[in-house]
Formats: sequence, C-alpha cells, structure tokens
Amino acid sequence: MSDIAEMNLKDLAAAIKRRKISSVEVVKALLARIDKWQPKLNAFARVEPDDALKSAKAADRTLAAGKSKGPLHGVPLAHKDMYYSKGKLAECGSKIRKGWVAPMTATAVQRLEAAGSFRLGAVNMVEFAFGPTGHNVHTGHVRNPWDVTRITGGSSSGSGSAVGARLIPAALGSDTGGSIRMPAHFCGVTGFKPTNNRVSRANCMPLSFSLDTVGPLAQTVDDCALILSVIAGPDPLDPTTAGAPKWNAKAARRAPKGMTIGIPKAFYVEDLETDVAKALDDAITAFKKLGVKVVQVDLPDQTLVSAAALIVLGSEAAAYHAPWLRTRPDDYGAQVRNRLQIGLAYSSLDYLEAMRWRGHALAAQLEAMGKCDAVLAPVSRAVAPTIEETDIGAGTNAEPIIQGITRFMRPINYLGLPALSLPAGFGQHGMPIGLQLIGRPFGDETCAALGSAFQAATDHHKKAPSLA
Amino acid sequence: MPNDISPERIAALAGDAGFSLSGDDAARIARAATPMLTRFAAGGIAMPLETEPSTFVAVQHKDAAR
Repeated sequence: MSDIAEMNLKDLAAAIKRRKISSVEVVKALLARIDKWQPKLNAFARVEPDDALKSAKAADRTLAAGKSKGPLHGVPLAHKDMYYSKGKLAECGSKIRKGWVAPMTATAVQRLEAAGSFRLGAVNMVEFAFGPTGHNVHTGHVRNPWDVTRITGGSSSGSGSAVGARLIPAALGSDTGGSIRMPAHFCGVTGFKPTNNRVSRANCMPLSFSLDTVGPLAQTVDDCALILSVIAGPDPLDPTTAGAPKWNAKAARRAPKGMTIGIPKAFYVEDLETDVAKALDDAITAFKKLGVKVVQVDLPDQTLVSAAALIVLGSEAAAYHAPWLRTRPDDYGAQVRNRLQIGLAYSSLDYLEAMRWRGHALAAQLEAMGKCDAVLAPVSRAVAPTIEETDIGAGTNAEPIIQGITRFMRPINYLGLPALSLPAGFGQHGMPIGLQLIGRPFGDETCAALGSAFQAATDHHKKAPSLA
Repeated sequence: MPNDISPERIAALAGDAGFSLSGDDAARIARAATPMLTRFAAGGIAMPLETEPSTFVAVQHKDAAR
C-alpha cells in the first residue's frame, strides 16, 4: 500500500472499516508527515498527538469488538480553528481570542465525531476569517504546499494547505466570500461551499450571519460528499437550517448524462490567465464527453451582486466586532482592523436595501440559469500569487492583485448558491487551477454528481505536491 | 447617487456608534466603501413595497421545489 497519509478520506475510512489498516497506523502516518511539512507550511495551529493516539486506540478496540460508530469510524480530522470543541482552544487566528477555551462543541464537529471521526488538532486560518490570502500577522502566514513562497488563499488557509500536502484527509473550512473555494483552487484540492442554510453554523465563530457557510475541503468530491452526508440538515441550534434537506446520497451519485451546464458569457470569463481559460475549455470538453449539454448563459450583472455582498458582509462583520473594535482596536492585525472598519461606513438603510434585494437578485440569477443544473466558471482569474506581492502591509501594489483573484467569489455567497471547487489543471509556475460548479439552491447533490463524474474522467485531483 | 459617503459623514456615523476615528481613518474608510455604495446605488434597484430580507429564503425554497 502507498503512503497511508496520501489516501483519500473515502478509501481511508473503508480501509479502517475492513481492518486493512488501523486507526493508530493512520494517526502515526499523518503525524510523521506533519513533522516533515509543518515547519515549511505552518498549516496547523495545534497538533494533539497524545489525544489523537488515545482516540485511535479506542476506535480500533471498538472495531475489534465488531462495532462501528459510523461512516467515519477511526478517521482523524482537523478543522479550521474557529470550530468549537468543548474544552479545547479555539483561537480563531487572532490575538483577541488567544487562550480562549470553547465552552461548547460546534454541531458540525459533533456530527462528524458521532460518525466516528476524532480530532488530530486544529488548522490555522486568517484572523477572524476576514481575509482572502492566508496572511496572518499573529500566527504567521500559512504557505502553499505547491510553492511555499505563494499564498494558500483564505480564509481557510490551513485547511487548504493541510489537505493539499496530505497532512489530513479532510478539514472543515468556512466560506463567507470564497474562503473554502479559494484555498481549494490555490492548493489543488476539492472544496465544497454548500447552499446557505444547509449546514448548521451553531457554535462556530461567525463573520456574517447572512453569508457564512460551513463546508469541507478534501481530496475528492466523493470525500466532500461523505462529510456533507454527515453534517447537512436541520439543527435546532441554528434555526436558519429549519428547511434544510438531509443529504441525498443517491442524488449525489447520479450519472450526469442529460444534465445541462451553463457557461457565463461575461464576468467569470473576463481577464483570465491563458492557462485558466484553457482549463475551462478542457473541462467543457470533458463534460461534453460525459453526455452533459453545455450552453451559454447571460447572467445578471455580477458586479452589482458583488457590491451588495460587500455591504452585507461589511455591516454584519462590523456588528459582531463592534465591542472589540471599541475597546481593543490595537489587538487586531492592521489589515483585518481596516477591513472591519469599512463596515462603519454603511448606514442601516444601505444594509437593509442590500438585504431586501437578495431574493430578487437570486430570482433573476435563477431565471438567467434557465434549465441549467449548474454553471461552470473559474474560481479565480489566476493561479496563486506570491505572499510578498499580496502583502498589503508591505506597501506593494497588492490591492489590485487581491481584487483580481477574489472577484468571482462573493456573488455566490450573496445568492446563497452551492459551489463546488474542483481541481482542473495546472498553470503558471506549476500552480493548481480550480473551477467552480455553481448549483441551484439546495442543488448541492447535483454539483456533487457532476463533480464526481468529472473526477472519474480526469486526474488533476490525484496530483500531490512533493516536499522541496 | 448614494448617500453622502464623505469622510465627515463616516466619522459622524462612527462617532454615533461609539468609535473615535482619525481623519485619515475616516478618509480611508470612505475610499474603501465608496465603490460598493456607488455601484449599488447605480443599479437603480426598485423593489415592491412588500419585499423583506426573508424573500430570499422563499425564493431559495421555491426553486428547490421546482
């Protein structure tokens, strides 16, 4: 068998279940790999080897007794350091929450653990999840496993880096303005931002209550679907999930033949690096071979949608952080404080108009999608830039670069649609390229079906970086 | 045109909410917020009187049930 640490989540869980490998062996393999990679990547906030080995031994004993907790039995996971686990630190990439011990466990984590997984540690993130690159002045920048001088994307920087380097088979991220899809694109992994209100956000650090979503980063679509099958659905602790359907595994495995994908005529196809444009063309060809009908779609003006998204995000983030912004402003990193302060510019009228328009904007988007099951678009116009050229504090021309790489993200959060980021090739400097399949509301399983078939026909997601 | 997004208005809004901003900070925030507010205002969005934020959830579920 190849390196256990390089196995994907689904295969790992199956091998443990069949007792071909033990949970202890898995933990030891991952710890050995983390030892080698962590000094270069800074992906982990904390590694908890003793507790993880204890949990692994318990999982192996349970299995030896003929019992299993569920589909993730014996699998170690590590999540973004904003998912609370009772009694464990959750520092949210910040100085303000340094040393903060969570008094409760996030519903998503609780469900993953009820399905048999356990904690190997926690992965780093952008301070309070409010930044698109992976820079963090408090915990150090997280580095891209394909080239450590380049950004991971944020804010789920540690999740992207750790899964990309195969330090962990899967990790939860969060996506408020692209924070799952960007690290997935830049680090060459699969990332799934579910439909807003599909997965409980209870006991996770919030950024924007209207736009926050909880989802996985993993090697494959099937891995992400496995995680979502465990965490999706109603949760009394998060009333916004009241109408959320549970995961439909059968729908997520449907053959894509006869489905329709839309390719945007504008916005998402503008100013693309040549390799990104080629990856899109190649993906269109691959989907056509799978029997998928491909049509062009004329979407409503996404710059207007993006403006509304930023007004909502800025207002809600400022509201959450107002107490600390008043009393501890100097304890924020300068860039995050600056971003939070932008929310002070919006009046209640600005915010409420942006919120009232949301349903109309979604209706217009869906009408433009017509009969399409999903829209296929790049995640970003370019591959990962360097940490240096995107460091706003260094006085470089960083802002336009950051604006350029993040613009395809925010409309989707405002519209609340599911979006699956798929590895789709490699571009300049040998860096990964991701494409996003943007679905219809609660059409997460359709995205999964399309993405899974795409991965069965391609091998981009199987490529892993090697340690330089 | 959007509401006045001058640094003076930003400083006044922030002051009402209990934040003391320097002139430089207010100017920076105004520069950062202006593109979003200007773009949103330029959309000329007109909505039926009855529209409220939860309309979004209704549209989400209507499409899911199609």
